[in-house]
Amino acid sequence: MNALDRRSALRLLAGTGLALTAAACAGPGGGPDAPRAADPSSGPATSGPVKGTVSFAHWRAEDKAVLARLTAAFSRLHPGTDVRQDVTPSADYQSTALRRIRGARSGDLFTAFRGAQFQQLVKAGVYAPLTGTPVLRRYQDALTAPGAQGGVQYGLPYQLVFNTPLANTDALDRAGHTAAPRDWDGFLQLLDDLKAKGYTPLAWPGGDAANAGQLLNTMVMNNLPEPDAFAGIETGRHRVTDDWFLTTLRQYAQLRPYLQPRAAASDADATLRLFAQGRAGLLATGSFQTAAARALGARFPVDLVAPITTAAGRARYEGVFNATFILGVNNASSVQPAAYALLEFLSEPRNAAAYADGTGQHVTVAGVEYTNPDLKALAPWLTRRTLLAPRFQFLDLDIRSAVENATVAVVRGTDPHQAAEEAQRVIDQKRA
Amino acid sequence: MSSTRSGRDRRRPGLVWLFPLPALALSGFLFLYPVLQSFRYALTDWDGYSASYRDIGPANLVRLATGDDLFHHAAANTFRLTAAVVLVQTALALLLALLLVRTTPMSVLLRALFFLPAVLSSVSVAFVWRFVYEPGGGLLDTALRAVGLGGVQPLYLGDPGHAVYWLALTQVWFHAGQMTVVFVAGLQAIPREYHEAAALDGAGRLARFRHVTWPLLAPAAAIVAAYTTVQSFKAFDLVLGLGGNPPGPGLDLLSTRIYTTFSDDRFGYAAAESLVFMAFVLLLTWVQRRALGGGQP
Repeated sequence: MNALDRRSALRLLAGTGLALTAAACAGPGGGPDAPRAADPSSGPATSGPVKGTVSFAHWRAEDKAVLARLTAAFSRLHPGTDVRQDVTPSADYQSTALRRIRGARSGDLFTAFRGAQFQQLVKAGVYAPLTGTPVLRRYQDALTAPGAQGGVQYGLPYQLVFNTPLANTDALDRAGHTAAPRDWDGFLQLLDDLKAKGYTPLAWPGGDAANAGQLLNTMVMNNLPEPDAFAGIETGRHRVTDDWFLTTLRQYAQLRPYLQPRAAASDADATLRLFAQGRAGLLATGSFQTAAARALGARFPVDLVAPITTAAGRARYEGVFNATFILGVNNASSVQPAAYALLEFLSEPRNAAAYADGTGQHVTVAGVEYTNPDLKALAPWLTRRTLLAPRFQFLDLDIRSAVENATVAVVRGTDPHQAAEEAQRVIDQKRA
Repeated sequence: MSSTRSGRDRRRPGLVWLFPLPALALSGFLFLYPVLQSFRYALTDWDGYSASYRDIGPANLVRLATGDDLFHHAAANTFRLTAAVVLVQTALALLLALLLVRTTPMSVLLRALFFLPAVLSSVSVAFVWRFVYEPGGGLLDTALRAVGLGGVQPLYLGDPGHAVYWLALTQVWFHAGQMTVVFVAGLQAIPREYHEAAALDGAGRLARFRHVTWPLLAPAAAIVAAYTTVQSFKAFDLVLGLGGNPPGPGLDLLSTRIYTTFSDDRFGYAAAESLVFMAFVLLLTWVQRRALGGGQP
């Protein structure tokens, strides 16, 4: 072996350093995982041998047991298949799913958040478009829009929730309200009457980043009843200093006496407990917390009651719904027929019903008969005048946070006008 | 044996240069290369996944300096957190170490007890402290009521002006015991004769601490300060556990800001933020080493 003296070693190190520097100077992008634009005409392989291990990537740890039962049934139906659930915490999934799903290292079948993540995955060409595939017929036409873009159906919204305050109807009855208020004054009267009966009128998790903004959905749905109101804030078409949003912030200020003490610092678990223990009339999150409230011992009947922020007769919407996640087949999957078959399996009304009843959430699949009493009680909302949750129109997390933080600041005591100005300053900087 | 080894080394002097190569290769690939890449990415508007991007020169850095309140706010929060944790944690750990330096069964037990939080994961600590800070039914509120201060109703993590100090309190609880052990080791390494000589010269307890203990404890203090600083900068999962993702303005630190920017598909901008973060860490480390005299007694 040749001797390596000090000078040669330093030369070697310097050379390696230069090589690293040169390599680092290469521009980003490219490489084997570079995105491919999805070809709208090339859907997933809907026929072919249904076999292999299907990776099902999602963040729904709470659904894992129900999905495990369903996927076991799928494997029995298709011998030679196996389904592996790749579950990631939701915050991580939001940030890193694309990097893992692209190239099909994970997620032959995968979920996506509606809004920013769905758009990102479409742009990255990860979806095998479902336009024209038989599975589409399984879904309610009116509810598939969140999975489509530019006339192409990339994914299928599966779980459906109502981001409309959850009501303890026993408490409302005791407060003398058997029907939902039809205007803002009526809503404040309801809160007054609940307070008079000793309830916390409205439990609001103002300290929880994920849930504080749920109330904003229904607070703006009639103040600016456009299907893309918040998208307009991102594009600059609307400003949070406009009258409609200032009105919304002033209405938040009016809610202060009706929220639990220090609501701006309350987390979602604490407000859920408050509601589940029957100490709050309304829970300002949504139907997705019904199952959790039951698990905490809530025995009272529930319904949804939205704050109607306008005068009677001027409200266009009664509530808000959202597609919690969108199912899609990976364009690069090596077991695409099996991934598509799993999607079809989950889309059969019987299996969708099993998922719905097991998780306590509605689904967008047509012809599902719910047996869960809460799902049955809230099922009429599936056909009521509801708006697709505006909160998830935001594609920029910083802009969304700025808008939602303005509502928290107002509840904490900040003047609505000042809160709006501060939020708009951040929005302007992020749009620049 | 020694002469045999020397003879072998003289015959193959070059072999010695091979020993650092694995470490250098790993640091080059895992540290140096990504850092150099960050410089390159910071000059682009790359979204993190597209094949195309634009070279935009120093525009990201200019915008960071002149038009990003959120970043400035996160930098201020990071500085306040680091300052609060370094001061309080170092002082508390030193105090505990002085009280527990004698090796008795009780002090060993207490050292182990104080050390215990350090073995927990950040996420577990975050969940525990969310209950501590819960308005109304949380442990701190209960404690305040128990001592007749029920009228004091802090917003804790919901107060954007002070949230970072509540985070600092959690950090101190999390790591003070660990730092106590470092100080105890440092204290036990100081020869007893020095204290005895100082006592004979008439020095009181305070004078002995000032002129004997503290100068000889400087290396341990430097380690504690450096570790505490690093640990404050790394307060990422703890913040997300306490404040959600993205955290509110009161808890937004540089690390969480970079993560949010990355999540927003602004990879180039996140790279620029990372470079500023790195410069911030370097500056603080330098200041700290100067202040503590490089840890030399």
